[in-house]
Amino acid sequence: MKVSVIVFPGSNCDLDVKWAFEVCCNADVSMVWHTEKWLPESDVVVLPGGFSYGDYLRSGAMAAKSPIMGSVVEFAGKGGLVLGICNGFQILTEAHLLPGVLLPNVSTKFICRPCKIRIEQIDTPFTFLYKQGEVVNFPIAHHEGLFYLDDTSLAKLEESGCVALRYVNNPNGSLNAVAGITNASKNVLGLMPHPERVVHPLVGGQDGVRFFKGINEWVKEIRR
Amino acid sequence: MTFLPFYGINVSENPTYEGDDMNKIKLVYEGKAKKVYETDDPTLAIFEYKDSLTAFNAQKKDTMQGKGRLTNLISATFLKLLQDKGIPTHFVKLLDDNHQLVKRLKIIPLEVVVRNTSTGSLCKRLGVEEGLDLVPPLVEFYLKNDELGDPLVTEDHIRAFCFASKPQVEKMKELSLKVNDILSKYLYERGIKLVDFKLEFGTDEEGNIYVADEISPDTCRFWDLSSKERLDKDRFRKDLGNVLEAYEEIWRRISQPKTTTQKRYEARLFIYLKEGVLDTQGKTVLSSLHSLNYPEVQDVRVGKYLKITLNSPSHQEAEFKVKKMCEDLLVNDLIEEYAFELEEI
Repeated sequence: MKVSVIVFPGSNCDLDVKWAFEVCCNADVSMVWHTEKWLPESDVVVLPGGFSYGDYLRSGAMAAKSPIMGSVVEFAGKGGLVLGICNGFQILTEAHLLPGVLLPNVSTKFICRPCKIRIEQIDTPFTFLYKQGEVVNFPIAHHEGLFYLDDTSLAKLEESGCVALRYVNNPNGSLNAVAGITNASKNVLGLMPHPERVVHPLVGGQDGVRFFKGINEWVKEIRR
Repeated sequence: MTFLPFYGINVSENPTYEGDDMNKIKLVYEGKAKKVYETDDPTLAIFEYKDSLTAFNAQKKDTMQGKGRLTNLISATFLKLLQDKGIPTHFVKLLDDNHQLVKRLKIIPLEVVVRNTSTGSLCKRLGVEEGLDLVPPLVEFYLKNDELGDPLVTEDHIRAFCFASKPQVEKMKELSLKVNDILSKYLYERGIKLVDFKLEFGTDEEGNIYVADEISPDTCRFWDLSSKERLDKDRFRKDLGNVLEAYEEIWRRISQPKTTTQKRYEARLFIYLKEGVLDTQGKTVLSSLHSLNYPEVQDVRVGKYLKITLNSPSHQEAEFKVKKMCEDLLVNDLIEEYAFELEEI
């Protein structure tokens, strides 16, 4: 499986997610600098966590206008798998690949701790190895994680089964406790929690392993 | 006007128009503002723009020397612009001050009117206020029939009486809205608001649809962006005077290269959260103010202030650019609104 991790100035989970893909599924991972115009041949494109552009203006706003994003949007449009974690989720919303926006946490604090997440949709390339409704432990680490969307669009999002992950004890005030969403065709996922931080017992858990293994299996299935 | 199945003019292989030497074979039609000639190429026609002005279905008439030249030149400029942007039009080339060479088409007996701002017959018919911004723009169809005074028709009427086919109606609508986008932007940059306009369409032998007829102050409403002064046939309809001067002003603004002298502007931009969007910063500041013994404070909303300095040839252009910056990057319209002050410095 070929994975491209897009690196923005201020990304800081790029090497973690690279490692997670390597450890879990022996993937071939390329790091792609945001000023590139073209993606290398990829099965999956990852927008990693971090603080692209220092979170200036709005989290993810400037990264969403990077030269590489044109290719990412095109890749997603063709059905390619696109994964945005934390700041990557913020970038996906600013790039209009996913609806909504991530506002500052209701507590006004930066929250960094393990977090119980319920898998709401297993009908996606990212979550199908989990059980429907299974509660996993994925850490969160963000200041702007409150998922916000107008009522009508939120209802539509829920109806179409695009809420893939939900907080068990909504730590940041997200509407409907949304922790992660997909687009309608389920090939783009954005989530605030960090599955790449729980892929080895040494770093505190293995709940994220099936996330990456699932992506790998999905890609292999498509190739077949 | 009466329905004209074909207009067109033929010109030889390499058409050059030199007065009477031109292959204006036969006058095939004379309308209120134009004469149409056949040429010896059956696919082409010549339009001659007349100096006459008419309004209210020709109940009001006048002649103004030089008016035909202006409508010819203005129309040619707009049609050429549209063609350059990929819109099929009947325009082939400008022949001289009063003549242009066009494709000979079968005219669809409908006029398509696009409205960006309410005025004229729309206000009269529906009793709505003048000057309302229409977003998205309105598209209306009128039947070309002088005896009936070009009545408004619905898409159902068009289908029921076969004035045009459904794909034709859809194509006309799509093209009209594209034309609106292109002309609105082009005119805005020249300090003109495109209020509304009328288009006609025709088809060639293969059934391809083209924008036909003319696009000029006779068929559009142009308002000066800042003064709202009318720069179109409304001056004639409403006896506002200076009709020719207004047409000349339009020609001046679109024929001169855009002014290149750059001025320096400062935009003071305020970005604030929409009502109802949670503002955690504002809430924190509010509680701090309360703990500092300002119990009278009811609410605090924190926004952003940006001071942007930019070079631009005009106030309008600078305003347009700042708006575009807001849409492109600075503002997320899901949660934020903005306002700005712009000043030359």
